Amino acid sequence: MSETNLKAPPKILILATSSCGYTGADATGQAHLSYPPNTYIIDVPSPCVFPENFYYRCLERGIDGIIVMSCGVECPFEGAYERLAAKLDRVSLGLKKRGIKQGRLKLCSVCTVCTKAFLKEVNEMNDLLIKEQEESS
Amino acid sequence: MTDLEDTQPKPENKKDEPRVGVYVCHCGGNISDVVDVEKVVAEAAQLPGVAVSRTNMFMCSDPGQKMIQEDIQKGLVDNFVVAACTRSLHETTFASLLARNGVNPYLLEQANIREQCSWPHHGQEAATAKAFTLVRAAVAKARRLVPLNPVRVEATNCALVIGGGVAGLRAAGDLSKLGIKVVLVEREKELGGFVRRLDALYPDEEPATALLSRLVEAVRTDSGIVVHTNSEVTGIEGYIGNFTAQVRKNSDSKAGEIRIEAGTIIVATGFRSYQPAKKELGYQKLSRVVTLADFNELLVASAGDSAVLEFEGKPVRSVGFVHCVGSRQIEGVHKPGENGNINRYCSRVCCTATLHTACRLRRRFPDMEIHDFYQDIRTYGRGHEDYYEQASKSDVIFHRYRAESPPRVAKAPAADEYNLLITVEDSLTAGEEIEVGVDILVLAVGMMPADNATIIDNLKLASSSDGFLQEVHPKLRPVEMAVNGVLLAGACQAPKDITESCASASAAAIKAAAILRKGYVELDPYVVKVDLARCEGTGLCVEECPLDGALHMVGEGNERHVEVNPAICNGCGCCVAVCPTRALQVSGWTLDQYEAMVDAIVADPVEVSS
Repeated sequence: MSETNLKAPPKILILATSSCGYTGADATGQAHLSYPPNTYIIDVPSPCVFPENFYYRCLERGIDGIIVMSCGVECPFEGAYERLAAKLDRVSLGLKKRGIKQGRLKLCSVCTVCTKAFLKEVNEMNDLLIKEQEESS
Repeated sequence: MTDLEDTQPKPENKKDEPRVGVYVCHCGGNISDVVDVEKVVAEAAQLPGVAVSRTNMFMCSDPGQKMIQEDIQKGLVDNFVVAACTRSLHETTFASLLARNGVNPYLLEQANIREQCSWPHHGQEAATAKAFTLVRAAVAKARRLVPLNPVRVEATNCALVIGGGVAGLRAAGDLSKLGIKVVLVEREKELGGFVRRLDALYPDEEPATALLSRLVEAVRTDSGIVVHTNSEVTGIEGYIGNFTAQVRKNSDSKAGEIRIEAGTIIVATGFRSYQPAKKELGYQKLSRVVTLADFNELLVASAGDSAVLEFEGKPVRSVGFVHCVGSRQIEGVHKPGENGNINRYCSRVCCTATLHTACRLRRRFPDMEIHDFYQDIRTYGRGHEDYYEQASKSDVIFHRYRAESPPRVAKAPAADEYNLLITVEDSLTAGEEIEVGVDILVLAVGMMPADNATIIDNLKLASSSDGFLQEVHPKLRPVEMAVNGVLLAGACQAPKDITESCASASAAAIKAAAILRKGYVELDPYVVKVDLARCEGTGLCVEECPLDGALHMVGEGNERHVEVNPAICNGCGCCVAVCPTRALQVSGWTLDQYEAMVDAIVADPVEVSS
């Protein structure tokens, strides 16, 4: 796994569902609400598509934190959210075994108009990663 | 405008690798006021695979589109990246542009540098760096895009409408007018659903019987509509264009099972009324505590010139209404229902329905005492507030209670003037405890999800946390389920009044007709595709798939492999994640594409990886 870069701001990957999280991010921008620019949002129909090793690979390659912004239990893909949540639980345990802070991967629900929730998740992850950078420096 | 095709050195492309065109939009100044667009274009031109990199003030405008069109006509570009606003706004614009010019419309990727860059970020340097990173990720994906074609499925020209209330009737009638054959299945002996229990309807005071007569007459006399009353759907299978439903006819004379073939399904199963718990507000313990529907039936039965309303042989001098019974429930205050849940949601319709009834009551019985016990008044619809005003001005007495402290209901002492004694902490009088005598207490009970277990289980439909059927998107696809070909009409989706139910029914009818009128269905190609060379036949994908029939194994031994039914697959990708050999991918959203995007995001700002 990569060490978080002390100089560059941490890179946060946001896997946002097309039906909810991605539209919520758009709503945040439409409201001109500010959040850190070191955030990179990828549109995903359903994050269930990613195998467990996808997350480890992201962190190995240099992503510092991953937020999966899903539709939660109101996922339009029947059964997908439950599988996603169980999978991320397993990945979280995998991170622990690898000595990586579990907080670097977060699953949350962000709806199409959840601008406050979007900001909260992004800012919390950013604060956490910056704190980690400071502690390791 | 910038044209870097001729001014910048072109990177070497490997043979047969797609040439990518990058088109960065100023969006007036919405993007370029914050992002240094020229810098992004210059840097994008250096990326591997990029053949041209250009800007325009408005890429969606005619000049912007013409710029892309000219590149197509000159044969300069194979795959396209538009860096502009969010895809939901103009993806169709650019995909149509490609299609009009003979290019597969799926060879397009958008970088969202407005909603997710220039609008939320303010420092030019950081915003420009991010915009370039987003473009770099989009280019990485675009280089891996391949042409896709919609999945074509032959469709049966028939819609199955489940439920014969106002929504089902409205949908059936509309569909038939559009030339679609309809089979309507209703569980009860009569058509009409819950509205059969109602009297005059807001907002125009039309009698419910008149409305239903018109709707039922239109359906019954239409040769394109087959109606099965006293019948229940016991099973459904299939997919868009080709559903098969088993229907059990419960009528004594025609009992038995029938089979219905349909191209689409409109679910119009309505709702069920909240059944107050025993002794909740005196319900079932005191016979003079009734629901709003019961009270409306009493009003219908007593219609005429009588100046007095009678109940249980005695004149009714005072009536009380209680709002929010079974709605807006609070953990710890209200007991969970049979499903273990409380109803946290507002049923929306009850405030207007209650005040409308109170106003009618006032008009018929000018001397009657009318009390209204409420938490909040939510008369949200057009003209609904008028009922509140009308009630306020005609001596309906309002008492506001807190959810934690609902009115207490008791039988009045024999010596009292009225039959029931209501005690309430009235926040309109600073929380003073007030005793009110009434002869009937009417509970405005909320709406609850109908029992749709068979449909949900068979078709794998999503429902919301409150149990109502869940559409794909409340604004963009408001009457469609994620299961293609299944549409929603009326209160099976959420509490709705008749006006809203009919509106959604007409919307569902149009959607169904749009699906069926061509005789075939073209589905998004974003479904799972199998690479047979990689498939080892483990069957893990079939076990993981949440949808019955989307995947199945065929062949034996070394020939054993998975097959996809693209009409059932919804592209959720659950199977992709468990395939050990990456034999499965969601077309248009492959793991290779995602990984390339991630690699582009983490690449050093000055590094250009190939």
